[in-house]
Amino acid sequence: MQDTHISLAHGNGGRFMRELIDEIFARHLANPGLDVQADAVPLAVNGSELLFTTDGFTVQPLEFPGGNIGTLAVHGTCNDLAVAGSTPRYLSLNAFIEEGLEIATLDRIIRSLAEAARDSGVQVVAGDTKVLRRGEGGGLYLATTGIGIRHPHHIGINRICSGDVLLVSGPVGDHGIAVMLAREAFGLHGELQSDAASVLPLTRTALDCAGLHFMRDPTRGGLATVCHELQRATGFGITLEQTQIPVRDAVQSVCDMLGYDPLYLACEGRVVAVVSADDADPLLQSWRALPQGEAAAIIGRLSQLHTHVLLKTALGGERILEELEDDPLPRIC
Amino acid sequence: MAAAPESVQRVAPAAMRLHIGGQVQGVGFRPFVYQLAQALQLNGWVRNSLGRVEIHVQGRQDALQTFMRRLFEQAPAQARAQLDNCVAALPQDMRGFRIRASVDRGERSIHIPTDLGICSGCQAELEDPGDRRYHYPFINCTQCGPRYTLIRALPYDRVNTTMNSFALCGACAAEYRDPGDRRFHAEPVACPACGPELSFHRAGLPYLRGNSVALAASIEALHAGAIIAVKGIGGYHLMCDARSDRAVRLLRARKHRPDKPLAVLCPAPPMRPLHHASRLVWLSRDEAALLLSPQRPIVLAQQKAGTELSAEIAPGLQEVGIMLPYSPLHHLLLNAFGTALVATSANISGEPVLTENIDVEERLGHVADAFLHHNRSIARPADDPVYRVIADRPRLLRPGRGCAPLELTLPFSLPHPVLAVGAQQKNTIALAWQDRMVISPHIGDMDSARSMAVFSQSVKDLQSLYQEQAMAIICDAHPGYATTRWAAHTGLPVTRVLHHHAHAAVATPNASAESPALVFTWDGTGYGADGTLWGGEALLGYPGHWQRFASLRPFHLPGGERAGHEPWRSAAALCWETGRYWPGLPHNAALLQHAWQNRINAPRTSAAGRLFDAAAALTGLCSVASFEGQGPMRLEAASATDCAALELPLSRDKDGLWISDWAPLLPMLMSESHSISVRGGMFHASLAQVVLRQAQQARGQHGITLVGLCGGVFQNRLLTAQVIARLTEDDFDIAFPEQVPVNDAGLCFGQVIEYGAALARD
Repeated sequence: MQDTHISLAHGNGGRFMRELIDEIFARHLANPGLDVQADAVPLAVNGSELLFTTDGFTVQPLEFPGGNIGTLAVHGTCNDLAVAGSTPRYLSLNAFIEEGLEIATLDRIIRSLAEAARDSGVQVVAGDTKVLRRGEGGGLYLATTGIGIRHPHHIGINRICSGDVLLVSGPVGDHGIAVMLAREAFGLHGELQSDAASVLPLTRTALDCAGLHFMRDPTRGGLATVCHELQRATGFGITLEQTQIPVRDAVQSVCDMLGYDPLYLACEGRVVAVVSADDADPLLQSWRALPQGEAAAIIGRLSQLHTHVLLKTALGGERILEELEDDPLPRIC
Repeated sequence: MAAAPESVQRVAPAAMRLHIGGQVQGVGFRPFVYQLAQALQLNGWVRNSLGRVEIHVQGRQDALQTFMRRLFEQAPAQARAQLDNCVAALPQDMRGFRIRASVDRGERSIHIPTDLGICSGCQAELEDPGDRRYHYPFINCTQCGPRYTLIRALPYDRVNTTMNSFALCGACAAEYRDPGDRRFHAEPVACPACGPELSFHRAGLPYLRGNSVALAASIEALHAGAIIAVKGIGGYHLMCDARSDRAVRLLRARKHRPDKPLAVLCPAPPMRPLHHASRLVWLSRDEAALLLSPQRPIVLAQQKAGTELSAEIAPGLQEVGIMLPYSPLHHLLLNAFGTALVATSANISGEPVLTENIDVEERLGHVADAFLHHNRSIARPADDPVYRVIADRPRLLRPGRGCAPLELTLPFSLPHPVLAVGAQQKNTIALAWQDRMVISPHIGDMDSARSMAVFSQSVKDLQSLYQEQAMAIICDAHPGYATTRWAAHTGLPVTRVLHHHAHAAVATPNASAESPALVFTWDGTGYGADGTLWGGEALLGYPGHWQRFASLRPFHLPGGERAGHEPWRSAAALCWETGRYWPGLPHNAALLQHAWQNRINAPRTSAAGRLFDAAAALTGLCSVASFEGQGPMRLEAASATDCAALELPLSRDKDGLWISDWAPLLPMLMSESHSISVRGGMFHASLAQVVLRQAQQARGQHGITLVGLCGGVFQNRLLTAQVIARLTEDDFDIAFPEQVPVNDAGLCFGQVIEYGAALARD
């Protein structure tokens, strides 16, 4: 890490953030139970199998098409528990409220938070509230910590093998684009909605598949960032097939206009699964049978033959998908 | 070519030991020495030694003097010999003159020979029905044939080349061993009995093996309108009939290359080698000489009207890339086909040229109808080099086969070897040590896996061929370049050089505190000292000490990198900056304008290249580009040469930087009352005038008289000619590179110059 002060790039899910975590948090907090790569960690409490995780939420605007910060606070933490291979049970909730927030807004947000918790089968069992002076918070920040019961089918990044196949449960980039359009008040929301949702139905189905080795939800930094995490943890190269990756036309066209790549945009209701090649098709079929997985697709595979994250383009080229940096600067010469 | 240093004349003992450096391997230098010594009845020996040639010669004083003189005066055409060392030696007891085995241990001074186009001697044999190599596609000798692309290791002996797998037949072995033969130690020597052979393959059909049958099948397929992948010296070409709109369209459709110009290969029969080419294009003396040089490069030349060339070859442009056959195979193909062929690199767009039989079938099976292979392996790719005559001198735009590795001498000596990894697009790399530097051939755009693979191979190859291990890496300052990321993972000390500092150093590597320069570094964008995208900068100083003296009015690029492919975005940005309505916007651009206002993915730039894009879009010539540089190229092609300049306001900003404002260009570019040709002409003239005005300002303030030009924008010959004319008329001295590309392919050279200058400074 070369910087002397924190910049926004230290929170974008890419290289800057990884270095920040490695060099500050992991260095000081190192202990046998800490895994900075994992979505959720197993807790050994009297021999029972629990998974534990925590997440903070600072989305702007607080409400956006398809969700709000309250639904995100439930889905974000529950989804982390779900993709780590557990059934979420309990949540704690911290609310940091900025002076001046309209109480009606807070009420709407917490009501939808409660609905999302009910739908996900979790109970919010502890909480804390703080009020920040005006100008010291973005209206409302939430943090949730969750506990889930681990599924007997244990999955983990160390189970991934060369030749394994990557699936994604639905179109990528919806959340990133929906929130950006809402934040910038483009007045052009159209049919673009965040995909924020519980992924539990998808992960439950996937855990029934014996060849499932790993799952992750592609949030900050998007699908490309998940692939980089997989690449770094396993050492295997990843080749994605551009034509197979589901992207909604509306998302693609906004990306084309603004110069963004949907593969780097956040999702809040998708799952990336790594399965043995033999089980890829059965899992694809089971996912497609679910309403959340209708557009699921097999999008690539891992291989020992290289160590890049590659995108096989429609024209037959193999483009290197670089790790997310700060806002990418043009490289045109 | 070769020059004898003055000191030579003083040394005249009865025996001498000489070390000859420079380009002396792979060019027939040892046989030449042998024959010269024989003719003068001198005794001794000659051998290759660690990249140089070592000679022991003894005999009569006057004969030795003659030997020394002729050694340099009569050296083989391809040799660039230099006398490294000459000492008196003790005469030894020996008779006759011998060629000794190579020495390959000890400290090296290595020069890798470049690939050479077929010589007249071999061409004559190729066409002689009585010769045993009649119509043999792999004929070569000490004066011609592949070198760089088949050398696996040094010393340059056959066992270290890809010809190692072909055992010499008796006849070839005799030539190879006979010091009097012109194939004496021609390492790739071959004949139909013992050498490589062609094979022809059409999907689903059996291979046709054998030179004449494979050639005949290829010619037949080409006549039928097919696209053939042909294996050459440094890689494969995709070829088709250059007259046939249908064939060229098919190639474009299959290669997903709708507009990018395609190179044309012309027949060049020995007696009238330029006859065909000059039917198609206007050739100046320089261009003609370049076409015929042993490099056999692609030369960009003005097309003639009404030729048989398909209009699909270079749509919207007036120039076409012409090349003459560089290998015997290409001669045979073109002679048999009888007229010009399209010959474009066989690759996926932006990637390095393909070299392996299996690779090309797999990756281009959907593009080529058939393949003309051969079984001589290509050790490393080398694409065709490209030249354009700009301001009356041939300028290298892309280094490649025939000029790779490109050797340069540095104006200083480095304390340790360094590797300069260049930029991102059209990249090359360089290895530098002591006062020497070698540049790789064109690699490609660095965002593809294959480019990275060839990049890694080039890094390894240069270091192992020249036996120099880099101790430090020099890269661009742009954090997103693949080469910058690669550099960070080497574990070696990394020096980041600002893009435009490197460009400036390419133009004026010898500028100094006593004689500083003002260098215009105009290109399509590069990472600047303030984190914005520069590209219209006039830098004042000398290597290691550049300050930004002048620039262009900055603006924000809507959609970031995407602006590189879509000139309309630059046009939109200029209009939005100045509150001007432009009817050329796409229907849904309101979203983009909103994002641009909020500076979402809209980085700030001062790049001249983007102004050319904007002008191409505003004049309606090119709104969306299918290849890099399409907008500026079409604009140049459409523009009149002698138009008046608009005087653009030049003023200082709050930091004291001189800024030329492009705003007055907008109403002119959008005005319907002038033709596109006049508007384009005025645009070029106005920017040339910007250079003059900024240079005058620098002269007034700092007494600068030397003006350098570098960056991709100066590949534009209309602009560059006008810039040079204006500056010359106002008594400026001009530095404009010839040997090193002004585009990013030359950036690695500037990186090394900046590195050396910084070492000297610190």
